[in-house]
Amino acid sequence: MVIKIREADKVVIFDVEGEIRRSDIPQTTLHSLVEAQLDRGRRKVLVNLRGVDFIDSFGVGQILASYTSTQNLGGKFKLCGISQKLLLIFQITMLHKVLEIHEDCDRALESFG
Amino acid sequence: MSHGRLERFLIKFGDVRGREARAALSFSAYFFLVTFTFYIIKPIKESFLIGFARPGWWPYADLATALLIGFVVALNARLLNRMPRRTYLTASLLFFVAGLFAFWYVFDVFQTQAITTPVIDPSGIVFFLWTQVFIIKSWPLAVFAFSFWTDVFIAMSVTQFWIAVNDVFDPHQAKRLVGLFVTGGLFGGIAGSAVAALATFARILRPEDLLLVAPVLLALALISVNVVYAGQRQVDAAVGDGRISAPARVGLWESFRAVRSSRYLVLLAAMLTSAVVAGSLIGYQFRTVVRNAIQNPAQQTSFIAALFMGILIVSTVFHLITTRRVLQSYGIRWAIVIAPAFLIAGSLAVLLIPAGLILFWACAIRGADKTFDNTISQSVRELLYIPVPADVKYKGKIFIDMFVSKFATGLGAALFLALYGLRNFAYRDDQTLASALVIARETGYVALFFMALWLVLTRLVYREYPAILKKDIRRKWQEGQEALDANVDIDLTLKIFNTIQSRERSTTLYYMNIFNLVRHRNLAPELKELLGIKRDELKARAMDALFDVGGGGFFPGLEETIADAEFQNEIDLIFLLPSYQEIMGKRLGEIVGSASEVDRIEAANSISRMVPTEPTLEALGRLLQDPSSEVVLYALGSASVHRRPEHVPLILLLLANPVARDEAQRTLAAYGPGVEDLLAAALREETEPLDVRRAVPEVLARIGTQRAADILLETLALRRDDLEPALVDALYKIRADRPGVRFRERSVRPELLSLARKACDAALNPSGSGDEARAALTIRIKRVFDLMTLLYPREDVVNAYQNLIQGTARSADYSLESLDILLDRDLKGLLWPLIEDLPAEERDLRLKRAMRLK
Repeated sequence: MVIKIREADKVVIFDVEGEIRRSDIPQTTLHSLVEAQLDRGRRKVLVNLRGVDFIDSFGVGQILASYTSTQNLGGKFKLCGISQKLLLIFQITMLHKVLEIHEDCDRALESFG
Repeated sequence: MSHGRLERFLIKFGDVRGREARAALSFSAYFFLVTFTFYIIKPIKESFLIGFARPGWWPYADLATALLIGFVVALNARLLNRMPRRTYLTASLLFFVAGLFAFWYVFDVFQTQAITTPVIDPSGIVFFLWTQVFIIKSWPLAVFAFSFWTDVFIAMSVTQFWIAVNDVFDPHQAKRLVGLFVTGGLFGGIAGSAVAALATFARILRPEDLLLVAPVLLALALISVNVVYAGQRQVDAAVGDGRISAPARVGLWESFRAVRSSRYLVLLAAMLTSAVVAGSLIGYQFRTVVRNAIQNPAQQTSFIAALFMGILIVSTVFHLITTRRVLQSYGIRWAIVIAPAFLIAGSLAVLLIPAGLILFWACAIRGADKTFDNTISQSVRELLYIPVPADVKYKGKIFIDMFVSKFATGLGAALFLALYGLRNFAYRDDQTLASALVIARETGYVALFFMALWLVLTRLVYREYPAILKKDIRRKWQEGQEALDANVDIDLTLKIFNTIQSRERSTTLYYMNIFNLVRHRNLAPELKELLGIKRDELKARAMDALFDVGGGGFFPGLEETIADAEFQNEIDLIFLLPSYQEIMGKRLGEIVGSASEVDRIEAANSISRMVPTEPTLEALGRLLQDPSSEVVLYALGSASVHRRPEHVPLILLLLANPVARDEAQRTLAAYGPGVEDLLAAALREETEPLDVRRAVPEVLARIGTQRAADILLETLALRRDDLEPALVDALYKIRADRPGVRFRERSVRPELLSLARKACDAALNPSGSGDEARAALTIRIKRVFDLMTLLYPREDVVNAYQNLIQGTARSADYSLESLDILLDRDLKGLLWPLIEDLPAEERDLRLKRAMRLK
């Protein structure tokens, strides 16, 4: 898994590529990267999952922990570029009720306002 | 004067900030001029009543006002409905200016006893002749009319002033600035009474001629109020805040209904009534004593005038020294009880003093009543209105201030008249100090009853006050965990993701997971579809890794089969078979050492359903140390089922591994209360890896017992910066999830103050770049608020924090006000400079002061 960080319109964008799974984790996790940005005062977080094929329970845990940390500080956490298969799983597990999921990343970026 | 210089000047009298300085000055000037006018008019009213009406008639003047004020309230409400606020205030002031000229004319005609001969306008001859004859013939009526007009003027002007304050300032601003306004009012009172006394004493002007000075003052007040509204419009246009609301369209009946429909306003009205009745009875005690102690009418007038001046000067000094400090240090909670408590003590004193001290007592109690009324009681009364919603406030405030207060004055007069008749005061009053003492004592019993009622009502009003305030402080966002808990079954979600993933690894593992899922949950059809539980694709090779038997489909319909209780029992029985345990004990040892990750994962998963024999638990211990994170994940799942103490050190070590941490925390939490002391030891053991120690508080939070909370708090008291965030997070979670857990104030408070001090220190000595320092400070402040939830209602603290961070200017001020009620003085001293909107220089000054004091 590779995570690249960039910023646009005061939104921190995490471009994730590969698989977010337990067995394929670099030194730093998605959650720790998000927390570092929150510590720097950033409050708008977008995770671009366009390059992600699969997420296991660890990956879901990372996304939920990142969401919780951002939300607790009054920030906004959104996902974009999610595959149809993952979206289906997110829907069935009701995660779409909590996480703001956008198909298109540009739209997601605009939605931060 | 520039904004900065103006602010520096005004800050001597009140806590004035930034762009509010100009509006604050205009308001002070407005109130100064209005009270200047009162205290010119008031002595004229008093001296005319004393001079031209018999003492027994005085209560009737109050009663007449009480009865007629309703019509004025109705008219005033109608005017408020129909006019923009600025126009309404301008028109009111012009109306009173016209009234002043009219009464001057009436008094001038009477005093000169001359009928002016009209020569210019023939059409006015009859009117002038008629009015001038009427004035002379019906003279005492004009005095009562003037008394009524004066009462209306005072009541309306004060109400209008505070309505304008409510228009322009929010509660927190008003609380800071109310002292400045009251100072303006007190100086106005001193100036007015001084001008009246000097002008009449030195015979520069006749009393009625003073009525011609008053219009000049009201004209200046008119300018001040227009400056305020013009300035406010500019500010509103700039910030788009829309502070000045549209006037409420109400009539008298609707005003009454607004009060009746709000328990808070009913209590406020009752509190004001009891205070005014008590004050009114004190007034009659005072008049009786003065009349008996000082026989000469001229001396009476000069004595009352001198006392009047003295009261205003004492009020000013008391106000400058005390009101602001009491409000800022003790808040409304204690400020509200000072007047009734003090007056009760003072009134009780009349039962103990000899007749020789009665004049001194009467002056003291009257002076105290008026001093409180001019200062702290007035400030508190106005502050109590501020959180009332704007539409209700305009309706209710007019009714209470103008109608209820006059009704209470009338009630006081009626009670005194009743006492006068029932207790035969007219016959028993031989104009000596002894009879004055008797009348004062007997009136005092009734006054004491109303003072006690007043005191009780202050507590009831204060109990309602925070609830009214909180209506305007709503949640800005749902906290992350709350949102997840409300919408998602996280445990099931994680299991589903694991199950889907396991399909890629091994069919056996996949069916094991499905078995676990279906056995414990009723899965939705969509989920079954997603997991691929379909009749036509069932080719399971259950336990193939363990038994190494190859594959063979034997499930005709998986979902029905797994859901079947008999099938589940069969599986359980297999696991319980001694022969199975014997074989598996040996086999597990081999699998744990196997090179196949899939085999080890399947073994780790199956152990959860096996009988915890020694070989099984030993195998589990080894699997917990497996290099594969997938194996460890399933081993942790099995460990959470068996919960063996010998596995705890292994699981603790996994807390250092970011990949296994969450599952390890979940597993340790599954051990429940029995594991708390092991966790406490790990948390405090300096040799443990920091990552492990940082992960332990979350486990204790999930266990959530009283013991867990105590361990967290005890560890927080060690003041380890590296553990502090995790400890505070965990304590916050326990407070959120377990309302039954108790936190002792003596344990929490020092830590809370310590966190607040650290935040102050971070604000004063920022490290890193501007943005980073600000972000770090924000997180420190958040931590203080999180810990505050242990001592104060969580909902109130969270709402206040969220509105301070993301609320409107108004909701942020309401939040400050609600915290002001909630928090103790020490914490406020440290927290306020961190959360109040202050200029940098001022903030640093306050931070330094707070750090020095604590």
